[in-house]
Amino acid sequence: MSSEPIERRVSYLGDRLKGRRCRNCGKEYFELKNYCGNCGRKSFGKMEDIDLFYDKGTLEICTLVNEPTNKFTKLGNYVYGIVSFHNGKIRVPGRLTDHLTRPDEEIDFSALEDREVVPRFRRRYSVERCDIIPTISLAFTFADEYYQHQEYNIDKPKKEHDTPGIVGYGVYTSRFRIKEGTIERSVPFIDEDSITAAVEAGKLALIHSGIDSSLVGKVYVGSESNPYAVKPIASKVAQVLKLGEEDEDVQGVDAIDTEFACKAATSMFKDAASLVNYPKSNVKYAMVIGTDNSQAAPRDCPGGELDLFVGFGGAAYIFGKYDVIAEIEGWYSCTSDTPDFWRRDGEPYPMHGGRFTGDPAYFKHVRKAAKKLMERLNLQMKDINYFTAHQPNFQFPVKIAKELGFKEEQYMPSLQVARIGNTYSGSSPVGLAAILDIAKPNERILVVSYGSGAGSDAYSLLTTNEILDKRKRQKMTVKYLTENPFIEYVDYTTYRRLKTGM
Amino acid sequence: MQNRPAIVAVGRTRFGEHYEKEPEKIIEEAWLKASQEADIERKNLEACYLSDYFLPITNKFGLEEGFLSELTELHVPMEVTRSFSSALSNACNAIQAGKHNIVLVGGIEKMTDRWDKIRDDLMLLEDPWSYYAGCTPEANHELMLRAYIKKYGISDENLKKLNIALAQISIKNHLHATKNEYAQYQRKITLEQVLNARKEARKPLGLLDYAPISDGASALILTREDFAKKFTDKPVYILGTYSATDYLTFTAREDMTHFLATKMAMKGALKTAGITLKDIQIIELYDQSTVMEMISLEDLGFCEQGKAWRNIYESCQDYKGYYEINGEKLFVNMNGGLKADGNPLGATGGAQIFEIFKQLRNEAGERQVKSDKELKYGCVLELEGFGTKSYVYILGRE
Repeated sequence: MSSEPIERRVSYLGDRLKGRRCRNCGKEYFELKNYCGNCGRKSFGKMEDIDLFYDKGTLEICTLVNEPTNKFTKLGNYVYGIVSFHNGKIRVPGRLTDHLTRPDEEIDFSALEDREVVPRFRRRYSVERCDIIPTISLAFTFADEYYQHQEYNIDKPKKEHDTPGIVGYGVYTSRFRIKEGTIERSVPFIDEDSITAAVEAGKLALIHSGIDSSLVGKVYVGSESNPYAVKPIASKVAQVLKLGEEDEDVQGVDAIDTEFACKAATSMFKDAASLVNYPKSNVKYAMVIGTDNSQAAPRDCPGGELDLFVGFGGAAYIFGKYDVIAEIEGWYSCTSDTPDFWRRDGEPYPMHGGRFTGDPAYFKHVRKAAKKLMERLNLQMKDINYFTAHQPNFQFPVKIAKELGFKEEQYMPSLQVARIGNTYSGSSPVGLAAILDIAKPNERILVVSYGSGAGSDAYSLLTTNEILDKRKRQKMTVKYLTENPFIEYVDYTTYRRLKTGM
Repeated sequence: MQNRPAIVAVGRTRFGEHYEKEPEKIIEEAWLKASQEADIERKNLEACYLSDYFLPITNKFGLEEGFLSELTELHVPMEVTRSFSSALSNACNAIQAGKHNIVLVGGIEKMTDRWDKIRDDLMLLEDPWSYYAGCTPEANHELMLRAYIKKYGISDENLKKLNIALAQISIKNHLHATKNEYAQYQRKITLEQVLNARKEARKPLGLLDYAPISDGASALILTREDFAKKFTDKPVYILGTYSATDYLTFTAREDMTHFLATKMAMKGALKTAGITLKDIQIIELYDQSTVMEMISLEDLGFCEQGKAWRNIYESCQDYKGYYEINGEKLFVNMNGGLKADGNPLGATGGAQIFEIFKQLRNEAGERQVKSDKELKYGCVLELEGFGTKSYVYILGRE
């Protein structure tokens, strides 16, 4: 019973919660109404858009849905209710997401009601594998739990730098974890995927940078778990986050997906930086997102070894020349045709070459890129404050760091794989974010990614004074995400169910 | 009201699951019963007004008018609407305007064939925005109850009483249905069963608070006032009718604790009938859920806002066959209501009219109400969607 025009209309309105307000009487609508019901014809041309995407609402009333309609059955049971914005001026239907209820749990609805909630961008419901994946922001989480409500305040740029660099970043991972031994890995909620993580990370990056999203001229999304073989994640990111100047529902931004296993995103850092530096590009800012719902076959199947390490999440970086927090000093990239890890078209899970993924693949490329860049920039170990490399597991990045001569205090702060797992394209970007969260001004960071297939990108970044100012803008740091009291641990069966998704 | 339309005959099928019957056979059964009652021939009919909520969706049915034409071998004007009340409304307009003299009004629904998809279809038609956000047909009722509890500050002992009162509605309707040979569930249920169903569902309302899905049909013959006596000695007149509409999206409505459309429809109906609320002793309500029955009693004006549960609770402590509201008797859903009689959407309104017709003519057999006063007026409330449309009919013998 799906009707295309309605599906699209719902996406248009629902992906980024928005409505209209009458400038005459102030009445608000969760609908793109061209006139006000109170004021009639007088209100033509006097309706203004209202944006609820960065807003927070109140869960007014709720109930439990335990027999959902067909498309929602994969969600199991969930709390559904009515959320109001602007003191009840706008009311919208929505469900609580990131919320698992135990079968024997008696729910006190009055304890959930009247609490503040944040709209979240999620899959709407499950569809056939051949269909368009419907998304919506009519899913909410409590503002005082894992995911904080943060305002998006646009600041005027203060300082132009000669060297382009990072002007803001954001890291997103879900509230759920699986813990096996000492390793914790993030697990997406059932309505999350690499698309929703990309949007979340991008949103957090915009909040952190304080730049006007309409000035972003290009967005790159690197992923190896795009649920579509053909259809970019970047277009969704651009539309939902309103990147580039908006004109008749079209965003004036170039959006592109990139793919090179786990270095799909880091590879584009230099492209983004170069683009904003090219005087005629007219691109003030460029966004690069690495996102993955890291794929792995179930443990007892071929390729199932990966299931011990995979995580979920994304990191977004905005590059520009204004109010830069870390300048890009230089880079070195290397590539060889090394088939250490692959996924054939149409296959749901990747395969890997066992021991072949170590020396001839990961170590060879990371070592090469790091050494060459240090040579090129004439850097010594003591010149580098922090080192981070791609983190497929705990051993590899530690081994290469030691081999290159780095000390624990240089490489340990970035090691997040034991807390959120291998986030594939998001892995080294998350490691970098963990460093940027704590780095002082004028510190040098060496980041080396690795993508199977194979290649590495090494970057040298130098932090600036602005890093301290901008830090105040972001509550959701890597530390916050990994040491959050609202993290919920799930068992292996639940983990696989959530990861497989809707 | 001028040129009052008169109901001269009614007919219906049993509601429930009619797996073995095709939709057109069910409507045929209802129409034949009505035509036999008033001894009306097919060729007397000048027009037909049929209602079904979504038969073409649930049964891959073609143009309903074509099926009806084949069935009756008539080529008269025929129109299809979504609810029995709206079909009847069109029929009334035609008769009052003097366009037709004798018309057939019928309603049909066959929902059980589509048991696996019916809730999706219902929800999508009822409130698409909420559907996309994960709503179910039941959730809106429960949210309305939550809003009601909050708005009127009902807590502790009173909340317990409210919950029992809602259960009593269901128990009462099942009790009434035991005397209705057409009802889907002709059995009693207990308070324990209703409460256990809620507990099992872990939410404010359980399985036994909701009307079922049903197959069934109903029909009536409507004539001009001066034609009525040709067919029956005891016609029942439509004295007043009105309808009103409200937003499709429940959350967008100003008041989430009441149905504005019902309030407006009742006001209009009383005005056109020229009677007051006190004249009405018997009503058939649209109890898709027990909450809906409670709220409707308030919307129609019989109970004060926020107080209906008290009236119900007190009336049901020792139930005598009616609600006692401020010393007045009110007979509600004598056929068992949607809960126990069944709710085949397009046909439901016909069964409600059927009941009032029988009661006013003193032909309801075992379920005939025993009133101290003469039973002069009856009222029917039918809703479409979740209160998106509301129809009120006031019927009378005079």
